Amino acid sequence: MSLPAFDDTIAAIATAPGDSGLAVVRVSGAGALACAARVFEGAPLESALSHTLHHGWARGPAEGAPRLDEVVAAVFRAPRSYTREDVVEFSCHGGRLPARRLLAALLGAGARLATPGEFTLRAFLRGRLDLAQAEAVADLIHAETERAADLALAQLSGALSKELHAITERVRDALAETEARVDFAEDVGGVEVPPHVREAIASAAAQLEAMLAGSAFARAVREGVHVPLVGRPNAGKSSLFNALLGEARAIVTDVPGTTRDRVSEPLELAGVRVTLSDTAGVREAADAIEAEGVERALASLASAACVLWVVDASRALTSEDHALAARFGAARVLVALNQSDRPGVTRASEVEALLPTALTCVPVSAVTGAGVDALREALARQLGGPESASLAGAVANARHAEALTRAAGALRRAGGAAQEGAPGEIVALELREALAAAGEVTGETLGEDLLERIFARFCIGK
Amino acid sequence: MIPPLPQAPRALDMGPAPGVPTHALPLDAAAAASRAGRFDVVVVGAGHAGCEAAHAAARMGLSVALVTVQVGDTAKMSCNPAIGGVAKGHMVRELDALGGLMGRITDRAGIQFKVLNRGRGPAVWSPRAQCDKRAYSAAMLDVLAATPGLQFVAGTAERVRLDAAGRVAGLELSDGRVLESRAVVITPGTFLDGVMHIGEQRVAGGRIGEHAALALSRCLGALGLERGRLKTGTPPRLHRDSVETAACTEAPGDEPPRPFSHWTESLTLTQVLCWSTHTTAETHAVIRDNLSRSPLYSGDIRGVGPRYCPSLEDKVVKFPERLSHHLFLEPEGREVDEIYVNGVSTSMPADVQWAFLRTIPGLERCEMLRPGYAVEYDFVLPHQLDPTLQARRTPGLWLAGQICGTSGYEEAAAQGFVAGVNAARTVRGESPWVLRRDEAYIGVLVDDLVTREHREPYRMFTSAAEHRLLLRADNADERLAAAGHALGLITDAQRERVRARYADIAAEESRLARVQVRPVGEVARSGVTARDWLARPQSAYAALPALGVATALAEPEAEALEVRVKYHGYIERQRRTAAQATAAESLRLPVALWDTDLRGVSHEAAEKLRRWRPETLGQAGRIAGVSPADLAILAVLRARKI
Ligand SMILES: Cc1cc2nc3c(=O)[nH]c(=O)nc-3n(C[C@H](O)[C@H](O)[C@H](O)COP(=O)(O)OP(=O)(O)OC[C@H]3O[C@@H](n4cnc5c(N)ncnc54)[C@H](O)[C@@H]3O)c2cc1C
Ligand SMILES: Nc1nc2c(ncn2[C@@H]2O[C@H](COP(=O)(O)OP(=O)(O)OP(=O)(O)O)[C@@H](O)[C@H]2O)c(=O)[nH]1
Ligand SMILES: [Mg+2]
Repeated sequence: MSLPAFDDTIAAIATAPGDSGLAVVRVSGAGALACAARVFEGAPLESALSHTLHHGWARGPAEGAPRLDEVVAAVFRAPRSYTREDVVEFSCHGGRLPARRLLAALLGAGARLATPGEFTLRAFLRGRLDLAQAEAVADLIHAETERAADLALAQLSGALSKELHAITERVRDALAETEARVDFAEDVGGVEVPPHVREAIASAAAQLEAMLAGSAFARAVREGVHVPLVGRPNAGKSSLFNALLGEARAIVTDVPGTTRDRVSEPLELAGVRVTLSDTAGVREAADAIEAEGVERALASLASAACVLWVVDASRALTSEDHALAARFGAARVLVALNQSDRPGVTRASEVEALLPTALTCVPVSAVTGAGVDALREALARQLGGPESASLAGAVANARHAEALTRAAGALRRAGGAAQEGAPGEIVALELREALAAAGEVTGETLGEDLLERIFARFCIGK
Repeated sequence: MIPPLPQAPRALDMGPAPGVPTHALPLDAAAAASRAGRFDVVVVGAGHAGCEAAHAAARMGLSVALVTVQVGDTAKMSCNPAIGGVAKGHMVRELDALGGLMGRITDRAGIQFKVLNRGRGPAVWSPRAQCDKRAYSAAMLDVLAATPGLQFVAGTAERVRLDAAGRVAGLELSDGRVLESRAVVITPGTFLDGVMHIGEQRVAGGRIGEHAALALSRCLGALGLERGRLKTGTPPRLHRDSVETAACTEAPGDEPPRPFSHWTESLTLTQVLCWSTHTTAETHAVIRDNLSRSPLYSGDIRGVGPRYCPSLEDKVVKFPERLSHHLFLEPEGREVDEIYVNGVSTSMPADVQWAFLRTIPGLERCEMLRPGYAVEYDFVLPHQLDPTLQARRTPGLWLAGQICGTSGYEEAAAQGFVAGVNAARTVRGESPWVLRRDEAYIGVLVDDLVTREHREPYRMFTSAAEHRLLLRADNADERLAAAGHALGLITDAQRERVRARYADIAAEESRLARVQVRPVGEVARSGVTARDWLARPQSAYAALPALGVATALAEPEAEALEVRVKYHGYIERQRRTAAQATAAESLRLPVALWDTDLRGVSHEAAEKLRRWRPETLGQAGRIAGVSPADLAILAVLRARKI
């Protein structure tokens, strides 16, 4: 585990590289004001008040060094700053050079180059953010859709931590009552776990499960999802793929078996980053290349959040459609009844009959474009759950979801044990396990690997 | 019909120094003082802590002086004449497995044996025994007298002597004698500046009829040890013949009685009866009418008492909705007249006690032999001790028992053992001996004492042990006999016996896993092994013969097997969490850390950390006010080796 120092002064360029009007260079640490003052020609920064802006010139730290750029210095004094340390943020001109030269000046003035995520790590170490919040910062930086950003922001504001805290407080109460009955059997008497404690356990479990129910979508928002188009050869998959993207990305011909390799493109739907992929038509393959393509098409079903099944409605269903339907398994399926510009042969009800679960079938024509918007909307609905779903407190992070799933499981077992009249200490064991698992999310549980995880996330990774 | 007290064995009353002919000794005490002796270890106070400490150190081959005011008061039960109970019984079993005394003495002095909580889970089954007070003291004296290397010294300890380097050099007694030693274990119970309250009356003393240790308390203060004030109470004693037992409910012991000690083969005794009765609305009225006369409510007592063992006046005031409280009448011995009234600890004036007792069914004509009283005393805030119970700033000084802020004989004995063993090991130049939280309640006890804040007397509860399912009374020998053997306190034969016992249990378990059974009333369903059948909640080992399966184990091994089989899954899970917790325990924090400025650690946490000086990251995490972020910083500081 490589551990960074956390009490020296660090500096880094805070904006992305590339052409931009402005760039920001940030310094944080006990020596931030002194360090910034040495590269700033203008008001004396060391005596500047918190939350003030100062116009001036950046220059090298050496005596008589030339000016580097015209800048604005924003001063934030501890603890009213992002890191809870003294912070100065310089806004300089964009482009490749100005920010780099200013950073070099700061390093020359005694700052150390910050490792990726180190400002956030400090905010965590200084107790301004809990672990879930600190992780949200990384998510916010990497958000690719509006909704992913909203989600990260909700987590950053502590919505998840707060909701979780309310639940764990109730579990703690239930544990205390259970323990009291174990230790003071004679005084409290009777049942090991009284009904009101059992109810509290059950409702805490239900709340956690509700948080987790939104988790699939929240994770879709955070991590993006995969939607493959599958179907018989010549059903019009490639044509529909192009129609959804609005560009002629995949090759379209009237030769069955045109598409061999998988072709993927990103698309934003309902705030979710969707990776749409066109696949080879599924049939008894004519050659080894096609066979490999079919294999890949079928493999794509496994990782799919939703499968877009393209059916040529102008022809009758074949045994190949039956075989394909049998491969869908638990995947969510949306049916595009394609070639609707031609006389219909296959009706929606016939397709629906092939699968055990209810289906949405959308008539569409890849050639005329009719129904493509409706298809897009139907797909968005499949991914988005209830339109109004609030993402506050949603569990978007796989690590969090995993820990909370364990917590919910332990609570369910606690409830079950209590119901069966198991000894109080067994119920207590499950409750303690639930608390420990929930504590991993905010960092309260000092797990074996917690510290490593913190540092891995902020210093070695992003 | 009080049996005569046993003679004090080998009491060193200004005893002659070795090699000096007796007739040559000067008669003047001050001159004799210089010859009072040199010992490897000196223990102050022959209470429950002191006896274990002295015994363990002597058994480890050292010369030990056990200094106590009155040798006849050795291992006196100041309060309830019973050993064990929930969580406390577990500690006695652990001590016993390690080579301690309490379990064996209890088997000799017990008059009623009972395993509590039998209707509940196995983690809370707890042995408890009612003892004959005098027999207990006598048996302890017997064993200590027969312990080579252990010498009693009758006297009052007054001052710990230090050498120029601030290390312990010896102990001064009130009569001027000096015992030279590099290791002193202090276990004075409630005697440090003890004050007893009986209603409006205040008397200095640690126990009724005994003097308070004022000088010793001042000496500890002078050593820079921060002290606090606690209080505890004891109920009135009644004359046996004045109690109408017919009006009470009988509370018999278990038949057959199960021995406390792993090393007692069986018990043959006629058990005595106890009785239960209850307070009435009238009792509560008497108490309410006289509250102003209770030192608890008039403000005379400043010490903090235990919440879990409240006085009757507390119970009446704090639980007004309860119209009646249970209480037990327990004889203090086979042939003594005193009956202990369990459940009415009180510090009301004697006349009020007498008046309310007489409103209780069965006690209408009772006569009090001794009123109940409360005692306030000094204790040393235990965060100043290291995990061997040695004072951090005074090498060579150990503290154990009630002086560390605990309450109860068992808690005291456990600490005495830890302190005695570590004092001996230190003298021998060996490493500290510390039990982990997942190894024993004793480990939990010591860790809790040195890492937590205590505002009331600490008493052991099963909930204090997060690995409770592993720390059962039934497997104490499996957990600890090897450790006791390594300390030199368990013999080869004893260790071999434990090994064979668990080998038998394991063999029986694997045999049952190979035998098929068809449970009564179940239609031919294939594939139930006897082991799986036994794992069901309602199955019992004793019922196996009825299913055509012979059994090989007798009690208590049979029961140990049942517990293993029925709770297998939970026990395994707890084992895993314990292993994870141990990982954090292995991250040691260097002591030098606490003298740095702890830059980055929050202000509150830094203050706490400097006070407690945790030895591992795991301990630091248990200190209230230390956040995960603080721990992360400690991890960084630790990795830098400062
Ligand atoms: C009035 C009273 C009420 C109690 N009530 C409860 C209760 O309700 N619940 C409970 O769990 N526990 C109770 N206890 C506590 C229980 O008795 C103690 O926790 C336990 O005995 C402590 O053991 P120890 O070895 O620390 O001290 P003790 O058993 O008290 O032994 C201390 C010994 O040290 C000797 N000594 C003291 N000072 C000196 C000195 N300067 N020099 C030489 N010898 C010295 C004393 O004579 C005594 O023999 C009560 C104790 C008392 C006195
Ligand atoms: N009339 C009409 N023709 C369509 C429609 N969609 C596709 N086609 C035609 O059907 C033929 C096959 O279309 P593709 O999109 O290549 O079909 P595919 O499913 O990708 O076929 P493979 O890649 O061979 O599996 C082409 O000639 C398309 O022009 C439609 O909606 N209406
Ligand atoms: Mg194609």
